[in-house]
Formats: sequence, structure tokens, C-alpha cells
Amino acid sequence: MRRKTITLLQSLRFRLIASVVSIEIIMLSLLVWNNISIIHATHTDRLRDTAASMIQQIARTAGNYMVAVDYASLEDYLSNIIDYQELSYLVVLDRDEHAAIALGDFPAQPWPVAEAHPAQVTDGVFDVSDVITVAGQPMGRVLMGFSLSLMEEAIRKSRTRGISIAAAEIILTVIATVLIGLGLTRRLGILATAAQEVGKGDYSTRIPIETADEVGRTAAAFNHMVTEVSSRTQQLEEAESQSRTLLAENRNLVHTSLHVQEEERRYLARELHDELGQCITAIQADAESIRDLSRDSDKRIETSASAILDVSSRIYEVVHAMMLRLRPGVLDDLGLVEALKEELSAWQDRNPGIETIFDVAGKLEDLDERVNITLYRIVQECLTNITRHAGATRVSISLSGNADSLEVSVSDNGRGLDQSRPSDGLGLIGMRERVEGLGGEFLLESEKGAGVTICVRIPLHDEGGEARG
Amino acid sequence: MIFCCLLAISTASAAAEKGNCRQAGPLVFGILPFISAEELVFRFTPLVNYLSENLQVPVRIETAPDFVEFARRTHEESRYDILFTAPHFFTRADHKADYRLIASVDSPEMWAVIVVPEQSSIHTLQDLEGKRLATVPPLGLATLLVRKTLFEAGIDPDVDLDMVITPTHDASLLSSYHGVTDASALMQPPFAAASNKVRDSMRIIARTESTPHIPISVAPWLEKACATEIADLLIGMEATPEGRTVLQHNRFTGYRPGDPAVYERLNELLSR
Repeated sequence: MRRKTITLLQSLRFRLIASVVSIEIIMLSLLVWNNISIIHATHTDRLRDTAASMIQQIARTAGNYMVAVDYASLEDYLSNIIDYQELSYLVVLDRDEHAAIALGDFPAQPWPVAEAHPAQVTDGVFDVSDVITVAGQPMGRVLMGFSLSLMEEAIRKSRTRGISIAAAEIILTVIATVLIGLGLTRRLGILATAAQEVGKGDYSTRIPIETADEVGRTAAAFNHMVTEVSSRTQQLEEAESQSRTLLAENRNLVHTSLHVQEEERRYLARELHDELGQCITAIQADAESIRDLSRDSDKRIETSASAILDVSSRIYEVVHAMMLRLRPGVLDDLGLVEALKEELSAWQDRNPGIETIFDVAGKLEDLDERVNITLYRIVQECLTNITRHAGATRVSISLSGNADSLEVSVSDNGRGLDQSRPSDGLGLIGMRERVEGLGGEFLLESEKGAGVTICVRIPLHDEGGEARG
Repeated sequence: MIFCCLLAISTASAAAEKGNCRQAGPLVFGILPFISAEELVFRFTPLVNYLSENLQVPVRIETAPDFVEFARRTHEESRYDILFTAPHFFTRADHKADYRLIASVDSPEMWAVIVVPEQSSIHTLQDLEGKRLATVPPLGLATLLVRKTLFEAGIDPDVDLDMVITPTHDASLLSSYHGVTDASALMQPPFAAASNKVRDSMRIIARTESTPHIPISVAPWLEKACATEIADLLIGMEATPEGRTVLQHNRFTGYRPGDPAVYERLNELLSR
């Protein structure tokens, strides 16, 4: 109920109509009241002035008749005056207060007391009196009574007319205000609805322009704005689409490039193993045979054969290391976990002062080759970065998997990474590109002096729902 | 003791002399409408106030719309307790309604005058032939006196000139003053009482014979003691400061005891 009331009070339509109607009622009521007061005062003042004027005139004129005791002539004179509509009675008293002349509907004695103003009247007749004098000597008194009925009828008619006009004006104002208010707020409502539709993305929304007034101009401006917004949004969408396409192509290119790179590495590793490794093995075998055959015959040959054997062993180690770098064979043979253990072991050998922790959990068999090499390369890159930049004393690697995804986390306790500074190398970018190329998520958390944690989550199903594996 | 008794008797006697009209109730002082009602009230209010105070009874001024009505009210109704009328009307009142003369205005006899504007070409009665002469109503003393004078001068007022009747002496005077008529006939006292501006711009071309001055009479039913008290008050007015003030306001020198015989000769005027 309260919410409804607040909504009603907030309504422009309600406030407009309520304000106009309230003001109209108040102001017109005041106007009518003021007019009625003025009319009443005007009528009563007019009657008072008329009565005063008439009775003064009669008092002055009647003096000569009274001195001459010429009541017949005086009555003739006054009989014309008694015809005055508002005059109820007219009485002329002589010096003994005896009625010399009594015309109209005169009251019974005692004669009424004169009243100063019609507002004092209680019996419906305004009684006035004046002394008849001649040369300053009193010759009698004249009494006159003015009926208030005509005046009250005139006031009543004026009041009725005023109230009728005011009521008509209020009604017309209410009707006009309601119609204008409804029309205005309806069109504003259309405008609001259209704005909401545009807000939802429907740029085909247009407001019909019904009139050329302010609302009509606002509607035209709104339509123009929607057209402009629609055009620019379309341009932005096209640009965004192009960007997305370019980004996808770029990712695909990167992915392809990485894949090619990995294939090339795999090829190089195989070639090194199959060709150069066999040759080195053959050289070692020949060098051993020569060393063994010449051991008792020629000491120099034995020494040279031993040197060849040492060099070839060294070459084998270098080639073997290169093979591991290019493509760890254990990754293809024994899987990701064993490959990471081997990599970590080798890394531990190179960095004996750093404590390493490796946790494995969940289902990690039968992973896609792309997933394996990606995670392997990410761990490999992380360890390289730790070696180069972290100054860490402890490294923790966790690997977990479930039916849907695979997660790898590598964290250290080194000096951390200032993420506000752009990275100089391509390591992090490469890691991110590898992960996003598989539809995964790459997250890096670091605070200065608090080490770095890199989390990677790779879904085991592609966007089409097909399993990677 | 004797002194006290004399003083008491004297006081009682004086009180009796002053209260004789109380029984008569308010007294009506009837005045011939020889001037406008307003002017009449103005002139005679001091006199009636003086009488009222001294008689210890209200005295009221009354007049009538015209001479005829005044005479009718006098003769037929005996309406006025105290009558202040023209000399020639008194004889009728005396004869028809038994009004009793108690005093007369103590001034020289009065007469009527015929006046013209100062620059008028009329200088004699004969010059009035064919002219318009304003006068008071036909029964007015001025009219009667002027008619007699014109007849005696060989002028028939009904044939040789145009007599224009006005209601009062003032109206008669002002009619020629404003050029409405060529000349005016009125009694000399009203002419003397006119404003200096009017009077000085007029010229007297003739005067009539004299008549006794205004008589003061009382109605027959008025107690003799009351009538005597009124007469004594009038006659004794000039002896008191208040009385003299009243007389001065009326332009009278005083009142004296009246003699009905001197008014008898005026019957001739009415018989014409």
C-alpha cells in the first residue's frame, strides 16, 4: 500500500493534475469568497447611501410643508417616492411624534429604532430616521424602512452566478488538465518504454511523432539518437567481430605454430635419436673395439680410441640433453606425470639449493598429447623463470585432474613479480597463448616479495563437447 | 415675620402671573406666510422661544401654504392660539372667529412700495403701463394697497399692466431684480429687511398709503389671564435685554397695546 502511494505521489500525471486542481479550487474559492464579500459590501453600502440620500432629501424638503402644515402636498410629493422598489414604508412624524403621513407597509408603534447600516438589520427591514428641520429648528421626523429582500435576492443571484462560474471553470480545468496530463504522460510513457527497449538492444524501436510540440520534438530527437546509436553499435559490433575473428585466427596461428614447433621438435629429437644417436653409438662401439684391440699393441691408438670414446660420450650426452629439451621421450612413453618428475629431477639437479614439492592427484591417464605437451611446457617455462628471476628457496607444483578438467599450479616463495610493469619476455605471453589455445584459463597471482603462483586450468572437452584424449 | 409673609405673597403672585398659559398646553403661533417658510422660521424662532420660556409652555410656529389657506384655517378652524397676521386680515379674524387683539408692533405705520431695478427706465406709475408688475397674492396687503394706489393714479391694474402673482414678498422683489418682471410691489418692511445687495440695486418709484402695523391677537378660547400674560410679555419685551435682542432680530422696535379700531378702516381694502 505504501509502495503504491509513493508510486502515485511520484507520478507526474498525478502531481500535475492534483496540483492544478488544488490550486484552482483554492484560488477560485478565495476569488468567489472575495467577490461575494465585495458584492455584499457594495449592495449594503449602496442601500445605506441610497437610504441616507433619500431621507436627507425628504427631511430637507418636508420642512416647509411641516411648518405650513401642508400634509396633503407633502403626501403627494412622498407618494411618488414610496413607489421606489426597495422602500418598505415612509412615515413623517410631527413635533409630537404623531404620524402626519404614513405610507407603505409601516410598522406598528413604537416606531423602530434607526439602524446605522444594513448589516445590523435583524428583521429584514433597514430602518433609518432623520430630523426634519427648518432654519435649524426641528419640525418633526421622517422614518423610512428599506426592505432587504431585493438586495438579498441580488446578492444571492450574484453568489449563485459566481459559484456557478467557478464550478464550471474548475470542471473545465480538471477536464483540460486530465486530458493534457494523460496525453503528455502517455507519450512520456511511450518514450520511457522505447528507451527501455533500446536499453535492451532493440535498436529498431521508433516513437511515432504525433505532434510538433515539445514531446514531439523530444520523440524526434530520441529517434535520431536511436538511429545514431544503432549505427555506431553496428560499427562497433562489426569491429568487435573482426577483432574476435582476428584473435581467433591469431590464436589458431599461434596454436598451429606451436604445434608445428612441437612437431618439428619431435622430428628433430627423433632424428637426433635415430640417426645421430645410432652414429654416435656406432662410433662408441668402434672406438671401444679399437681401444680394446690396440690396448696391447699400440698405446697411442688405445689412447686415441679412448679419447674418441670420451668425445663421443660427451656428444651423446649433449645430443641426449638436446633431445630431452626438444621432446622428452618419456612424455610420449610414460605420460605427463613421469615426464614432469623427470624434468623436475633434472631441474633439481641443476638447482640443488631449492626445495621442490610435487603433488599429483586425480585421474591423469590418457591425456591428449596437446594437453600433455602444453602443461609440460608451462611447468618447464615456470621452472626456467624461477631459476632466472625468482631467487626462491622453495617451489611447489601440484597437478590434479578430474573428468572435466586438468589443473596445474606452480608457486614459489621468491621475490615476486611486479604486474604493473610490462613483461620484457615472451614467456608469460606464450604460456597464456598455449592455455587459451586449448580453451583453458591462465591465472597469475603475485605480490612483491611474496612469490608467484601460476594456475592453469584446461578443460578436457572442447567447445563441441568432444573429449580431448 | 411680616417681611417673610409679604415675600411669600409676592413670589406666589409672580408665579401666578407667569403660569397662566400652562393649561392651554402647547400654543400654536400662526404666522401669515408672507415670506418663505424657512425665512419665516428663521425670523420668528427667537420670538417663540422667548414666549415659550416666559410662558412656561411650548410655543410652536405654524403657517399655511398660502394666504387663502391661512385665512381659512384662521376663520374656520381658529387653528392658531396666537395670530400674527396682516392688518387687514385681523378684522376678518376678529369678526369671523372672535380673535382678540392683544398687541401691535410698535412701529410707524407701514406701507407698500413699488420698486424697479436701478437702471430701469420706469420712473413713475404711468411708466408701468404695459409692463409686468410682480406682487404678492391678491389678498395680500401689498397687492390691495398697490391696486388702490394705481387706481387713484388713473391706472387700471387689471387692464393697463400685467400683474404677476408671486407667493411671497421676497419672491416679488427678486422677480424684478432678476429681470423676470419690470417692477415689484411689496410691503416696506420686507423690502427694508432684504439684503443690501438687492435693496441697493433697486429704486422706489412709488409708495402707497400707510396702514397700521402688524396686530397680535389670540384665539377666543384662550384664558384672559393667559392672553394678558402674552400681551404683557410682548409689550414689556423692550424692557429686558433678551426682549430687545428678539426685537432687534425681528427689526421691530417693540410692541404696544393694540387698538382694534385702527384696523377697521382696512375693511375698505378687502371690500374692493
